[in-house]
Amino acid sequence: MARSWATMEDFEAFLDDGGLVEADDPMPDAYRQAVFAFIEMHANSELMGGLTERDWIPKTPGLRHKMAVLAKTQDEIGHGHLLYMVAADLGVKTRVEMLEDLFAGRSRFHNVFHYRAVTWGDQVAIAFLVDAAALISQQAVFKNCSYGPYKRILRRIIAEEGFHMRLGEDRMLRIAEGTDRQRLMFQESLNRWFWPALQLFGPDSESDDVLLRWHIKSERNEVLRDRWVQRFVPMLQSYGFTIPAPDMRWDAVTHRWDVGPIDWEPLKRTLAQGGPDSSRRIREAAGSWSRTAWVRAALSADLSDNGVADNCAGNGSTSTGGS
Amino acid sequence: MSEPHGVREYLLAFADDEHLMGQQHTEWIGVAPFLEEDLAVSSIGQDELGHAALLYELVLDLEGVEATDLALDALAFDRPSHGYRCCHLVEYTTNDWAEALVRHWIYDTFEAMRWQLVAGSSLPKLASVARKALQEEAFHRRHADALLDKLLDAPEARDRILEALGAVYPLVEGLCEPVEGEAAAMSAGMAAASTADLLEPLHQAIEARFGRSDSIGSRTASLQNRQNRRTTRSADFDPLLQRMREVLDYDPGAVW
Repeated sequence: MARSWATMEDFEAFLDDGGLVEADDPMPDAYRQAVFAFIEMHANSELMGGLTERDWIPKTPGLRHKMAVLAKTQDEIGHGHLLYMVAADLGVKTRVEMLEDLFAGRSRFHNVFHYRAVTWGDQVAIAFLVDAAALISQQAVFKNCSYGPYKRILRRIIAEEGFHMRLGEDRMLRIAEGTDRQRLMFQESLNRWFWPALQLFGPDSESDDVLLRWHIKSERNEVLRDRWVQRFVPMLQSYGFTIPAPDMRWDAVTHRWDVGPIDWEPLKRTLAQGGPDSSRRIREAAGSWSRTAWVRAALSADLSDNGVADNCAGNGSTSTGGS
Repeated sequence: MSEPHGVREYLLAFADDEHLMGQQHTEWIGVAPFLEEDLAVSSIGQDELGHAALLYELVLDLEGVEATDLALDALAFDRPSHGYRCCHLVEYTTNDWAEALVRHWIYDTFEAMRWQLVAGSSLPKLASVARKALQEEAFHRRHADALLDKLLDAPEARDRILEALGAVYPLVEGLCEPVEGEAAAMSAGMAAASTADLLEPLHQAIEARFGRSDSIGSRTASLQNRQNRRTTRSADFDPLLQRMREVLDYDPGAVW
């Protein structure tokens, strides 16, 4: 059913009343662009997360274990697949344009996937800490998300991310109860991944954040970050691991952990594609994409029906994602 | 060779082929030509690893060992390379997607025939696994066929596919090479016919799929000597096993 809003005030009143915007609604362009950029970055991050994990999938210790890990990464790429379709329906870029922007370094993905998993312990840290951070963020978006198609996809994504986090927790527990070498490996992974995982939530939200005003996000970054800290700091400590935050302290008044000052420079570098593994990650993804261009070209007539090969030769559009 | 030993060798060859084929699929997640293909290849990889796990369980059954994760992984990962019974086709390491696709088609075509041979096995668990696997194989073949239908119709893609076939084809014969002891396994009722009997139907299926091309003009007879009844590994095997064992080797006493 066609709906329209005469002014931005009308539209915002609709959102404040809990209204859900659908893809064919004549939404204000600023809203369309903001929702699109947010979903595009989410889609890119699911895909790049899968690429971060794939470095270790063939080395997974154990046959049944490998099947579980493969299923997890399949879910992540499946989330990317669904999200690219939801994003493409907004009419800002096609799926191929989004992928080509990603592989050309023109659009963003989450900071954590600008780092390399250098040990198996890192793979477990990602499945546990990073997936938990992503889950906390996604739950908060889902709770009150004003864009209907995204909210519906998030319901499924959140259910699957919950399984991933439990898989990560189970693997982390085996390590925690394991040998000295295993525990040392995970401690080193924690040293590498604690801060990037915490920085995933971003700096404190601005007071005029349109994502909050338009109910794309429902909670402020600092609230979500604190939720993660209060949950994972005591849990990791209870398993005998050390949180790599020398200034961290327990606030006896609020009964909360305070991790101390956060250095946002590493996050800023990843946003500028200057993270520790950004160039390799993007270069390798672009290389795979380019080496298989002949397949997409041969299948283009079939693929274009669902947007895969639309404008295969296109060089993307001007907009960059990010939130 | 005694029947129990023959049965063990037969199951091990089947399991090792499935294990390594599944392993090869894991290398393609995230780097396939498009997202749907990433998802398909990871599903197929999970299926093949699942078949391997079920077949290794049957080997452990024969030995009276409970199929815990640790026992299964000891069998799957802890043998010396000469203890494996896989064929060289599944050991073959490639970063060429066309070769991976052609191998996927050939392997799954062969695999469906192989499961048929054991669908009426005297080992009830094997017959039961075969029924499940045959359903999955129909999907695997449909997936590979759908891609090949299109790619073989497009001139540039056709050239690449046939070139890939040329690279993979010399390894086809080894896929159908039986282990020492297969005859003993067959007299125990393990399978309806020899793995070697699948070679001719497989060749016919390949010709029907890809046409008679220069790539498959000359059948090689030398591979059987190189595989030596599946007891000799190709040059790709040791680096592959090392990659599969990297985390296990980090701390042999660890449970992951």
